[in-house]
Amino acid sequence: MIFTPLNIILFGVVGLLGVGLYGLLITRNLIKVVMVLQILIKAVILALVLAGKLSGHLGLGQSTAATVIVADTIVAVVGLALAVQVRRRFGTLDVPRISTLRG
Amino acid sequence: MAGIIVALVIVLPWAGALAVWLARNKHARLQHALAVLFSVLTAIVSLVLFLFADTEPAIRIPLGKAFGDLTFVPDGLAVLLTAIAAVIGSLAVIFSVDYMHGDAQLGRYYFLVLFFIGAMTGLVLSGNLLFTFFFWEITALCSYGLISFYNDDPKAVAGGIKALIITQVGGVGLLAGTLIAFANLGSFQIADLLAKASALPAMALAWIAFSFLVAAAAKSAQFPFHTWLPDAMEAPTPVSALIHAATMVNAGIYLLARFYPAFEAVPGWRMSVLLVGLVSALIAAVSALIATDLKRALAYSTVSQLGYMVYAIGAEGVFASQFHLLSHAVFKALLFLAAGAVIHSVGTRDMRRMGALGRQMPFVRNVFIVGALALAGIPILNGFWSKELILEIGLEHSPLWAYALMLTGAGLTAFYTLRMVWLVFFGEEREPLHAHAAGLAMKVSLGILAAGTFITWLFFGGLNGLLASTLPIHELERETLLEVLTAILSAPATWFALLIVALGCGLFWLLGRKSALAQGGWLDPFVETSFGFESLNRWIVQVTYQVAERFSVTQTGELNWNILGIVSALLVVLVVLWLGA
Repeated sequence: MIFTPLNIILFGVVGLLGVGLYGLLITRNLIKVVMVLQILIKAVILALVLAGKLSGHLGLGQSTAATVIVADTIVAVVGLALAVQVRRRFGTLDVPRISTLRG
Repeated sequence: MAGIIVALVIVLPWAGALAVWLARNKHARLQHALAVLFSVLTAIVSLVLFLFADTEPAIRIPLGKAFGDLTFVPDGLAVLLTAIAAVIGSLAVIFSVDYMHGDAQLGRYYFLVLFFIGAMTGLVLSGNLLFTFFFWEITALCSYGLISFYNDDPKAVAGGIKALIITQVGGVGLLAGTLIAFANLGSFQIADLLAKASALPAMALAWIAFSFLVAAAAKSAQFPFHTWLPDAMEAPTPVSALIHAATMVNAGIYLLARFYPAFEAVPGWRMSVLLVGLVSALIAAVSALIATDLKRALAYSTVSQLGYMVYAIGAEGVFASQFHLLSHAVFKALLFLAAGAVIHSVGTRDMRRMGALGRQMPFVRNVFIVGALALAGIPILNGFWSKELILEIGLEHSPLWAYALMLTGAGLTAFYTLRMVWLVFFGEEREPLHAHAAGLAMKVSLGILAAGTFITWLFFGGLNGLLASTLPIHELERETLLEVLTAILSAPATWFALLIVALGCGLFWLLGRKSALAQGGWLDPFVETSFGFESLNRWIVQVTYQVAERFSVTQTGELNWNILGIVSALLVVLVVLWLGA
């Protein structure tokens, strides 16, 4: 039996992580970077709930997950606000072009 | 109580460093005052620590499985070196009040000096090898920052980088030895390594022993890494006195002395130590014969005297090496600071331009002569007793040819020391240099060190008892002051040595005075290339640069590439975990 509830959630975690990391690898658009970061964090939240279930501290896992949801909303808001400002200042959302860190 | 004292002696200078930095460069007087206050407090606390010397850790902080316990053990060896670092540190800081007067960047200067003092006390007190390594690296960093303190001078920057890279070779040696020990023992505790050394596989123990020898040689500027110390003389002179004569360069000697009981049985180790010391002592003494830069000459003599200490450890004289370390720290700090007073006053380090300065600065001349006589090994100054002790042990426990060569070194020491004194303070005036007398702060620290040069040998009995009782594993011989004095005075080795020293002085008086400035002698090409080892050291520095430049390609600063790095590292970790499980 491969499709136990546990395995389904695990596949979900790994899948979301994979999508997020792949997105970070290829994307150059700042808005998309914020979006894939959100996907990564969703994977983490899912993993936290799962860890709570597996370790028996169900409440602990879920309350940590709730905290992460709050924190990650702030990340999204600040990230998007930054993106808006960057678009206004530099006229582009292309990350390598904004970056001043050039060897 | 002991725990609080040990913590204070490390934290106080660091707190002082922070305070000086926060005081900002606009308030120079406040910065001077803070630096002096904190360094003197540290010195007092370090002397109080003598009362709490013990074999057991005074502080033990559990840090989990990976690091083991962070322990601080105030045993005799650690307490002695702590006191040297803190007391000479405070005197160097007091001296700096005059020497660095009017410098625009006092904050950076005092921050690095005080940070260094704390790191040095931590290095000798730490009972955990990993943290010994951390402190070791902090001292290297401070040394680099202070050598390159005048960062608009390319020579200072080059000297700093050379010192950093070469001492780093030693850092790698120390880390390698530490990790091999951890792999075999499962513990970073120095006490564990000392206790279980004989149970280790012979191969592993040999690797540790020789890694630590490399570490000690690089840190203490010993053969074949001896060329960084003369180039480090671009640092402000109080720094040269503190870091490059009295404390940091002793870290290597400390390491060898600390682990002597563990490595003594490793085949060839003792002989290698003896040879490293012997070769360094001789090469450096010959180089000092023709150096024309006052500080470089003193630096060569430091390498040479450190060579005597290493030789002593190779000849089973652990206590003799530490005793000479104490004497050397005091008289060499005195010599450097007196040289600093001269350089500060006349504005040049070139001895060819000096001459007859004694009339203009009599106080500095007098203390410099005290230090010089101690360096040359003239009774009854501290350098005489400790050097005789080393030579006596050398006669008993090392091959006769090694002893004879070290004896020659003692003669050379007398010769170059007299040459230095003569060129700077006596003879005829070669250039109309305007010298002014030393300031009050300079005189205070010079006076204390000169007094120390007269009396530190009186502590022999107390120190010997302290080290013997708190270092049971070293099995040191117990001797009182009176016993050792009679032993030294009745030993034929002493009279040989005195004869050789007198010969060195006499030769200088007859031949050296006229030719002291002779150029283009047959020695010059050897000394310029450090007998060929300059190229080895330069090669190490160059290779480091090239490798670093190759690696800089990987620093693109682009998000996608960094993520690729993170993901591939994650994959590697997963594969390792999978293979391991």
